[in-house]
Amino acid sequence: MKIEKEPITGNYGKFEIDGVKHRIYWEEAGEGIPLVCLHTAGSDGRQYRALLNDKKILKKYRVIVFDMPWHGKSSPPENSQVGHYKLSTESYISQIMSFIDGLELVKPVVMGCSIGGRIILHLAIHFPEKFKALIGLQSAGHLDPYYDISWLHRQDVHGGEVCGGIAYGLMAPTSPENDKFETMWHYMQGGPGIFKGDLFFYKFDGNIGTEIKKIDNSKCPIFLLTGEYDYSATPEETKSLADTIGIAMIKMKNVGHFPMSENPEEFLKYLHPVLEKIN
Amino acid sequence: MFKSLIEKNERRSQLSIMGQYLNTCFMISTVDDEYLISIEKGNVTNVEEGPFVMPSYIFKLTASKNEWLKFLQSTPQPGSHDIIAMLRRKVLKFEGDLHPLMSHLLYFKLLLASLRPAESNNEN
Repeated sequence: MKIEKEPITGNYGKFEIDGVKHRIYWEEAGEGIPLVCLHTAGSDGRQYRALLNDKKILKKYRVIVFDMPWHGKSSPPENSQVGHYKLSTESYISQIMSFIDGLELVKPVVMGCSIGGRIILHLAIHFPEKFKALIGLQSAGHLDPYYDISWLHRQDVHGGEVCGGIAYGLMAPTSPENDKFETMWHYMQGGPGIFKGDLFFYKFDGNIGTEIKKIDNSKCPIFLLTGEYDYSATPEETKSLADTIGIAMIKMKNVGHFPMSENPEEFLKYLHPVLEKIN
Repeated sequence: MFKSLIEKNERRSQLSIMGQYLNTCFMISTVDDEYLISIEKGNVTNVEEGPFVMPSYIFKLTASKNEWLKFLQSTPQPGSHDIIAMLRRKVLKFEGDLHPLMSHLLYFKLLLASLRPAESNNEN
């Protein structure tokens, strides 16, 4: 059987983030408005495989997805050691802005899910003029810890098994099993302590608090979409966020915490109208 | 309510692979009723229904009967579809030595989900 080639191009590139050399992997497809997509904690850019193959989106958008340092095919930075990784708000912002500057993208749209859905709020507060629009998937302003995340990285528990088990439950029972399995598999492939290190941002350092009131939707349009089965960033929490910003949120039926990866077909029904609004 | 866990071993061949090194005994409580479940090499070998005088187990999962019934729906509602979701809503309590549970988290999620009606049985 002949191979059905996808329109995606993979790239490696070297650049500095906060003065430290990094080797980063990214994928892209399409032409037009740059749409930079941010994956969830402990996973990688493969979560956006459906977007990178969606003909309708690729006609108008240059979809670009990078693996965060330590994730997917991106290398850890120089002089790294296992067990020391902790994502801070500052370093997360730096890697996104360095990547955008490094590719010389002008006023991109940035869409992020989970930790990505949180960081777009920080981008909206600090750099609204830099973006054409910001899209938050599974966005919540803060998250109180509800399970002991030390289980995600200890030598007597297989990290891939436990991270996969956590991710599996965050998906909707109605999402297709194949896509759920692939989404879980990405988690099973994460490096030791990386999911836990990302959650430092999600559950502690990246909590927004009252700063959320600084977001001015007139400076940069914000769209918030959340799956109904997400118990990490619940629709109620996104609604509270949307109410504070003064926008409407979109509640997505039949999806959970990873809409673009666990049920792309359902997710794209919600995303297409959003992307059509952005000019 | 959980007695049929032992009857479904034949349908859970994947789970016996995922739990091939798992030997434990845990309790499920509905507050009014208790079930002591023994697992050997990933297979449920015994389910004993209480009341118990001096039950011995490694860890215990407690939720009300109503919450367990919601979890066991063929297509559970958001917040009832996963044991961590129930933990988040503070309707389920984990107690004891959680190592067997957390080191086999997906195994236990799928084991409990195997009690749902067959059409939504999410076994891998």
